[in-house]
Formats: sequence, structure tokens, C-alpha cells
Amino acid sequence: MGANIVRALDDVSLTVAEGEFVGLLGTSGSGKSTLLNLIAGLDQATAGELLVFGDDLAKMSSETLSKHRQKNVGMIFQSFNLISTMTAAENVALSMMFAGVPRAERECAASDLLASVGLGGRQTHRPKELSGGEQQRVAIARALSNTPRLLLADEPTGNLDSRTSKEIMALLKDLNERDGKTVIMVTHDADLAKRYAHRIITMLDGKVLSEVTA
Amino acid sequence: MIISDTLRLALGNLRQSKLRTALTIMGVSIGIASLAGMVSLGVGLQDQFVGRFMQAGVFDAITVSSGNNGGLPALLGGRGRGGRAGRGGRGGRAGNAPADGAAASARPEPPALDDAAMATIKALPNVKDVFPNIRVPLQMHLGEFEELGTAMGVPMSAKDEGAFRTMSAGAFFANDTDETCLLSLDMAKRINETDPKSLVGQTMTLSYTASTSTPGAPAPMAMPAMPGMPNLGALLQMKRVDRAYRIAGVVKREPGAGLGGFGFANVMIPLKRAMEIDAHVVRSTQALLTEAPTKTKTYQSVTVKVTKAQFTEDVEDKIKALGFQAFSINDALQGAKRAFIILDLVLSLIGSIALAVSSLGIMNTMVMSILERTREIGVMKAIGASDSDIRRIFLVEASAIGVLGGVAGIVLGWVVGRAINFGANIYIVRQGGEAGNLFSLPWWLIAGALAFSWLVSLVAGSYPANRAAKLNPIQALRHD
Repeated sequence: MGANIVRALDDVSLTVAEGEFVGLLGTSGSGKSTLLNLIAGLDQATAGELLVFGDDLAKMSSETLSKHRQKNVGMIFQSFNLISTMTAAENVALSMMFAGVPRAERECAASDLLASVGLGGRQTHRPKELSGGEQQRVAIARALSNTPRLLLADEPTGNLDSRTSKEIMALLKDLNERDGKTVIMVTHDADLAKRYAHRIITMLDGKVLSEVTA
Repeated sequence: MIISDTLRLALGNLRQSKLRTALTIMGVSIGIASLAGMVSLGVGLQDQFVGRFMQAGVFDAITVSSGNNGGLPALLGGRGRGGRAGRGGRGGRAGNAPADGAAASARPEPPALDDAAMATIKALPNVKDVFPNIRVPLQMHLGEFEELGTAMGVPMSAKDEGAFRTMSAGAFFANDTDETCLLSLDMAKRINETDPKSLVGQTMTLSYTASTSTPGAPAPMAMPAMPGMPNLGALLQMKRVDRAYRIAGVVKREPGAGLGGFGFANVMIPLKRAMEIDAHVVRSTQALLTEAPTKTKTYQSVTVKVTKAQFTEDVEDKIKALGFQAFSINDALQGAKRAFIILDLVLSLIGSIALAVSSLGIMNTMVMSILERTREIGVMKAIGASDSDIRRIFLVEASAIGVLGGVAGIVLGWVVGRAINFGANIYIVRQGGEAGNLFSLPWWLIAGALAFSWLVSLVAGSYPANRAAKLNPIQALRHD
């Protein structure tokens, strides 16, 4: 392994403006997820710089990086990644728990957030008792819980049927347009990207292949 | 992250796998029970041992003897010659004992253990009481029972101490002027095998041979005693004295058998009475012939009671500084204490083996739990949990196992200890021993066991917790 250094990302240079909806398009192994993970602060670049809201993530300690994940970004995953033993409300409140928000306050906020994604009556349900679309809504509510300015979605509709996909995408579009959240969405679905993103960045083998503004 | 949230999260996690948590806690509780049980046994045995001495009331007692007979005081028997032999002009008998005089000249002059010395010692700080140890040879007579023995003088202040606190029958002397006596249970049984308690209230005749000469003043016919020359005058002044003593009570335990305080005796009479007899009693014809009464009354040994046991050493040193020999049970107990420390150490080492095994159980549970929840850890990290948040969650989980196991272990240890104690006491009593607590569970042992259990769980949990904290979130999120 050691000798074969894989450059997951190579000479990628791009800027995302605040309030933008960017689609990262590419086949698997193109480096689009790696780029998203770097922006999320789940991974750190070995070289180069990555400025998010003016701070260089490449130079951050793991403690600061966790603060970045907590405050600046909200992550949405293909497989929802809800904690199965917790209720919808508890899942939403969890990230606020790590941010040190007192219990009463975060229970209140979680209930509001669930209502805002259309799950007002589903607070005490566990992930197993929810449909895929509902689970993704809980995940979005969770992503919004610490009021980040940046939402990072990794194939958010990958596990959903087309009708539910549309609903989720509409929700993301709404958050982008109404609340001014910057959205970076990784997808391999070119049509989906074209329909919702302001700008589509296509990647291949760790490099930016093309950049198209809708 | 707020600590109460960490706790809630950790306990919630433990509830998710109830069976595994319960089994691990049981493992810890067995470990703690064996450790606490072993230490408790050590402490119990030590308490039994120390308690015997405590009841004898000897921890706060120092036996002081005049410096000139060297070594430990002769605790048994009456006044020896050492305490009486005048030296350097004291008592006017310097020329009488050339051998003694020569020995004395090699050492500094030891002070006399007389009333003045007792007053000096009494004036020392933390000294509660000073009284001479007086034993007189007597003949005891009650009905058909007749025995030659020693009566011991007991001060009135001993009333609430050790052996006299729990009397087998009757009560302590009402005052020190009446001619009353206490018997040891041993003695009482010798007199009346079937009902020793019935002796209380009966009268016992105590007889001794007295010299009619008064101490301090030379007897009218006494002439300067010369070596080898019988003091015939003194011999003529002997008479038998019979006194009727009412038996006030029966003492269950030997008061300070052999050491410190009172020494061994089957008959106890008020100290004042003993001193009166002591002034007149003739111990042997030889003593009568070779010893003339001295002007100043000196004692073979006196007992010093300190206000609190912890002052014993300090007072003992001060008395030694005055030139007397001093000895307390603490000196003898030092060795015993060391032995108990070693015993406790060995017992706790044996007990620790089970705890070591259960700590592996904690580690195993934590490793398994982390493996199962790898993805969950990844999610937590992705939504903002820091490495230390994760570490803390798992350390709190391990701690909860440790503390719950500790509590269960102490309860288990206590129950098992009680059961063993119950069984052992049945055996001990059947063998003629006295039932007691073989296991002792003082508060410090409970607190210590809990703290140790917690510590062990933290140590056992630290490796898994660190592993969880260091998980790469991307890899963890991919984990199934």
C-alpha cells in the first residue's frame, strides 16, 4: 500500500459562493466524495489549502475540525445514517448535544425542525418505523440543527424512489432558496444535478473535468 | 458536551444490550466481592485480635518500673528486692548489699519509683491516672474450697474499663473501703462448677501472714540486719490475719492477662485494700530476715493510664526520659500490625485475581460494543462529536459497569461473608471458642472497593475508548 500513493484529488481548484447550489457529478472513484469529505472536515488534505468561511481546514487540529463539523456544515448521507436506537427527535437533538445545547432547548428545537421538514407527528418514532423518505427528512432536520450555512449532501436520493427523491430535492431547493443555505450535492445522476444545481462540476480521476453553470 | 448528556447517552447505550451489560456487571461484582471479602476477612481477623486487647483495656496503659532491674518489669509475683534496695544513702542500707551497689555504680543512679515519682508522672500531659501494681500472696478460703493465690489491687478508676465493663455477674466495687473482692470466672468455676454466678454476695476468707511492725518506722526489736545474720526480732512479730471479703462480682475475661494494666490474678480487691495488706504482708521468711522496712515506700511497678491510646507512645517516651523503664502493649503490637499488613496484602492479592479477570470482561464488552457501533461512532463524529466526546462516552459506559459492579459486589461480598461467618461461628462455638465477627466491612472498605472498581473499569475501558475516539469517521461510516 505504502508505495502506491493514490491521488484521490489532484490539482482541483474551485470556489463556491455563499448561497450557491453546486452539483458534484462523476462516476465512482472520480474523487467527488473525497472532495465532499474534505469540505465536511471528515478528512484532511495532505497538501494544498481548503478555505471554508475563511479558515483553512488543512491546518486544523482534530478538535477544531470537529467544531467545524458541528457549527459550519450539515451532512446528509445516501443511507441516512440515523442512529437506530434513538427516536427521530433524539437523532435531531444529538448534534446539538455535542454542541452543548441544554436539554430543554434542544428538545424544543428538534421538535420545531421536525415540523419544518413535515414530520411534526413523527418525533417519537424510531428510524425503523419510518419510510426512507421520512428518514432522510429526519437526517435533513439533523443537518440543520446547529444552523450551519453549508449543507453537504452525499447522494441524498440514492436510496429513494423517484417520487420521494423529488420531495427531498424540493426540500433541499427550498432550504437553498428560502433560507439561503449553500448546498453542495454529490450525485452520479446528471439529470438530477441539472434540474436543481446552479452549477455542475464534473470530476474524473481526481480532476475537474468540466464546470457548467446552469 | 455537557456531562449529564454524556452520562445519559452512555447509560442509554448500556440499556441497548441489557444481557451483555448485566453479565459484565456480574463479572465485576464477583471480582469486587472476592476482593472486598478477602480484605474484609483480614480486617475482621485483625479486629478480633486487637479487640481482645482493647477489651482488656491495655492500649492506654503503660507499665512503668524503676530503672534498676533492667528489661521488662516482672509482671507476675510481688515486689522484688530491686525496688527496695537502697542505694547511695537512700534508706540507709548502702553497706548492706555490696553486689548491688557495685552494679549500680556502673550505671547512672535510677530514680526511685515512689509516691513522689508517681506524682511527677501524673503531672505529665495526657496522663489520666497513675497507680501502683500491687499483688499480694493470699490464702483463699470459701467453704470447702481452699487455694493459695495472688490478689491484685484494682483502682476504682478501672470501673468502666475493658474487663470490668462486661461483668459475668455482680458489679464492680461500690467503694474502696469495704472489704469486697471480684473473682475471675475461671476461679469462680473452680469454686462452684455448676453455678459460678451464685457466688456473688457470699463471703470469702482471705488470709495472709503479717508482720506487726509498721513500715517506715523501725520495729522496736529490730537491729541492723547483717548479711547471714537472722533478724530474729522480726521473726517474732509475725501473725496470721484472716479477713472476710464479700464477693461483689465475677469477671468474665482476664483483665489484661499478662501484659500492661493489671496482669493475671484470680482475685481482685480494691487497690487501697491491697496497699494496706501489702504494707504488712510477709512474703517469705527470707525476705523478712534480710529486709528491713525502708523509710520511703517504693513500688516494683506502676501502671500509667493515658487519656487516649494515641498518646501512649508520647507519654512512654516522657517517662523513659525521667529515667524509668516503660513498656506498653503498643510495643508488642507493632510486630503484630506488620504481620496483619502482610496478611491483608496477601488476601487482597488473592482477591484481585478475580477482579483482574472481570476487568478483562469489561474490556471485552467494550471492544465488542465499539465494534458493533463503529458506524454510529462515525455518524456522531460526522455531526460534530469530537474525539474526546467519544472517548468520554465510552469511559462513562465502562465506569457505569465498574460502579454498578462494585455496588453489587459489595452486597454480594457482604452476604457471602455473613454466611461464612455464621457457619464458622457455629464451628468455633462448638469447639469451645467465642463467636465473633470474622468479616468486618468498615465504611472505608466499602468506599475503597467502589473506588477501586471504578478505577479498574476506567483502566479496562481506556483502551477501547481510545480506539473508538481515534476511529477514522469516513471508514467508520462505511462500516456495516
